[in-house]
Amino acid sequence: MIAPRSAANVRILAIDDEPANLALIKALLLREGYTHLETLTDPRQAAERHLAFAPDLVLLDLMMPSIDGYALLDSLGRLTGKDDLVPIMVLTADTSIEAKRRALALGARDIVTKPFDVFEFALRVANLIDLRLMFARAREVSQPG
Amino acid sequence: MIGRSISDWWANRPLATKGLVVVAVPLLIFLGSVAALYTVSRMESRAEQDVRLTIAIQNDVNEVHALLAEASSGVRGYLLTGEPRFLEPYHRAEKLVPQVTQRLKGSVRDFEAAAHLSRIEALASQKREGLAILLDARQRTGADIVGAPAIADGLAANKQVLDALRGEIEGMQERERELLAARQGRLNQVRFNGLVVTGLLTLAGLVGSLFAVFLFSSGIVRRVQRLERDAVLLAQGEALPEREAGRDEIGLLAVRMTEASALLRAREQALREGEERFRLVIEGVRDYGIFALDPDGYVVSWNTGAERIKGWSSHEILGRHFSTFYPGDDARERSMHNLADAVRDGRTEDEGWRIRKDGTLFWANVVITALRDEAGELRGFSKVTRDITERRRAQEALETARHEAEQASTAKSLFLSRMSHELRTPLNAILGFAQLLELDHAGSSKADKASISQILRAGRHLLGLIDEVLDIARIEAGKLGLDIAPVSIGAAVAEAVGLSLPEADSNGITIRSDVDKHSPVAADRRRLMQVLLNLLSNAIKYNRRGGEVSIKAGVVRGRMRVEFTDTGIGVDPEQVGDLFQPFTRLPAGAARTDGTGLGLSLSRALVEAMGGAIGYTPRADGREGACFWFELPLTAETGIPEPMPARAALSTHSVQRRLTILLIEDNLANAQLIEAVAARHWPEAHVVNAMQASLGLDLALRQQPDLVLLDLHLPDKDGDWVLEQLSKTYPDLPVVLLTADALAAQTDWVSRGATAVLTKPIDVPSLLESVDTALREHTR
Repeated sequence: MIAPRSAANVRILAIDDEPANLALIKALLLREGYTHLETLTDPRQAAERHLAFAPDLVLLDLMMPSIDGYALLDSLGRLTGKDDLVPIMVLTADTSIEAKRRALALGARDIVTKPFDVFEFALRVANLIDLRLMFARAREVSQPG
Repeated sequence: MIGRSISDWWANRPLATKGLVVVAVPLLIFLGSVAALYTVSRMESRAEQDVRLTIAIQNDVNEVHALLAEASSGVRGYLLTGEPRFLEPYHRAEKLVPQVTQRLKGSVRDFEAAAHLSRIEALASQKREGLAILLDARQRTGADIVGAPAIADGLAANKQVLDALRGEIEGMQERERELLAARQGRLNQVRFNGLVVTGLLTLAGLVGSLFAVFLFSSGIVRRVQRLERDAVLLAQGEALPEREAGRDEIGLLAVRMTEASALLRAREQALREGEERFRLVIEGVRDYGIFALDPDGYVVSWNTGAERIKGWSSHEILGRHFSTFYPGDDARERSMHNLADAVRDGRTEDEGWRIRKDGTLFWANVVITALRDEAGELRGFSKVTRDITERRRAQEALETARHEAEQASTAKSLFLSRMSHELRTPLNAILGFAQLLELDHAGSSKADKASISQILRAGRHLLGLIDEVLDIARIEAGKLGLDIAPVSIGAAVAEAVGLSLPEADSNGITIRSDVDKHSPVAADRRRLMQVLLNLLSNAIKYNRRGGEVSIKAGVVRGRMRVEFTDTGIGVDPEQVGDLFQPFTRLPAGAARTDGTGLGLSLSRALVEAMGGAIGYTPRADGREGACFWFELPLTAETGIPEPMPARAALSTHSVQRRLTILLIEDNLANAQLIEAVAARHWPEAHVVNAMQASLGLDLALRQQPDLVLLDLHLPDKDGDWVLEQLSKTYPDLPVVLLTADALAAQTDWVSRGATAVLTKPIDVPSLLESVDTALREHTR
């Protein structure tokens, strides 16, 4: 169990067109103790679900049919306000350096290439959740009430 | 014969001589006439003078006689009368006779006359003496003299003398008359001769003039006229007849003209032959359509090639406009546009469709050249047309083939890339769930565990395959995107050995690396590592248990050669050719071979993409084992200095105070470069980057850096201002300025508190030097 203690309330949105992968992600996250999960195979609904679900972490597959993953990454990043931080972790089968750089430049907080090691995946998710929680706590301290 | 030779001689005289002769002949004749006339007149005057002299002599003789006769009469009268007045003639005779006699002596030249004269003179003196005696006697005797005998004798004697004198005078006069007659005759003769001479001379002058005119005419005028006729012939290009010409100027001129005529004809002949040959060549050319256009574009000449290519025969096309050869409605405009280009540039080349007489099209290469005369006036155009339809078809076919090949290649690359991606995605699920199973079923049966392990192993093998296939596909599509930079081969080998150690240990293999610092090679570090790891892995896998791998490096033929020698069973010579082919698997050695079969072919593709070579040789020492090598180009650039050995860095880490470098720089690329350099050169350093001046000053307060690298161009504040703030607050803090502005670099920043100024692009060695110097001085 790598997940932080407050993981139980963390909301994670996972977007991947491949149901098997989505199932794997879900299984892994559940195994780590994350329960508030939303999975989405149709990337066109991503923005809508993002707003409705208000996730603490987004897991995004970059290579999907019917939509440009980079454009989606960019638009999801913009959904979050400037004073907020919702990390996006990109999952991609594209191992090229260019793909990584491009994703990072567009605001991805982390990148995991598929197929990934389950331990590594869990650790990276936990790190991003930590980041999110620390940011939220810092904001509460600076803006009481 | 003689006349001929004279006329030859005359013809050969120079023109000056001829002119002199022509002028001199009448002139000489004239001078001769004058001389002759002068001589005749001189002779005539002398004859006349002789006549006059003779007459004078006669007069003088008569006067002597008269004087003496009168004196004698006077004396007689005196004797008779005694009157003195009768003596006057006597006195006059006494005075004049000697004078006249004397004058006669001077004039007489004839001997006979002179004899007469001397006798006359003697007689005259005798007479005068006689008279003087008479007078004397009279004076002595007085008046009566008649009766005196002396006087009578004297008179008688005087009478005798006078008679003799008269006789002599007559004789002399007779002689003088003879002489006069003779001289008169000679005078007449002379006058006649003069007339004859004058006549002859006049005749000679006439003849001479005619002769001169003849000479002039024959020697000059006629020949000049002939020359003039020759010149007309020459002008008409006719041949000149061979002629005897003489060797004077006119003759030479005629000779030269004849020569010129011959030369002219020879040249004309050569020219005509040349033109004919040229025309035949042009007309005979079959592969090129060569023809001429007038300045307006109408065809004026045509050759066989043009006929063959375009289908028009010469008589059909001459006089037609060349836009006939252009297909389409705008043929005229396009053709005239080509002509305009040729006029402007002197020459124009065009490729395009042209139309034949039968309406078929052909792809032509056309060169139009403007033809200008010496004055630069446009005289027309030459046009050379080639039918390159076949070539174009071949080119098109080639182009199509190339395009298709490219498309196929791109399609293949795309296919492989997609395939890899599509394979990776399900693999993610396979490997992921297998791992989950492995975690969740730690306590399940051995058989289950083995099965899960098999799934994971097979999945990972598949993943390796996919990665390598993708790399090969990228290389083949030329999309590998190499990042070539100077790389230290020693450091790279050391790193690869370090990574391979676990595998070597598990197989009981010893790795001996004999590679130390070497000149850097030009390579992509990541890809070089891939090759090194692959070769090392092969050398370990195909070795015998407890074997050895030795690595050597050295410069061979200007390239860095790295060799990996193992102690395995080596490669079957028959299989050497297939070594670098994809999916070639060699018989297993000590270790179980779980390679993809793509390693060597990928390594070869990578090394070749980096401009190197890779190969296999049997062991040089004849022992069992394989030797794989690769070569990479050396680079003259000095690379980033070798990083300190990782262990050394770790060991000093805890001892040394952590070095903090504050980098105030808004350009991300520059910041990354400096961070990379710092990471390698000062592994203990902590680089803090601020993209803005305000943040930079903030961090300077919080981090207490050992050194500040300050970009002069920041988004919020002027670097100048930041420097001022820094040097005011931290006077001992070294600040190294970075600027892209070469002008700004010349400002005296040191006096304003900066330690050093570096211009961008940043030269790594000078950055290192500046920072090291600044730090040394700061810590002192």
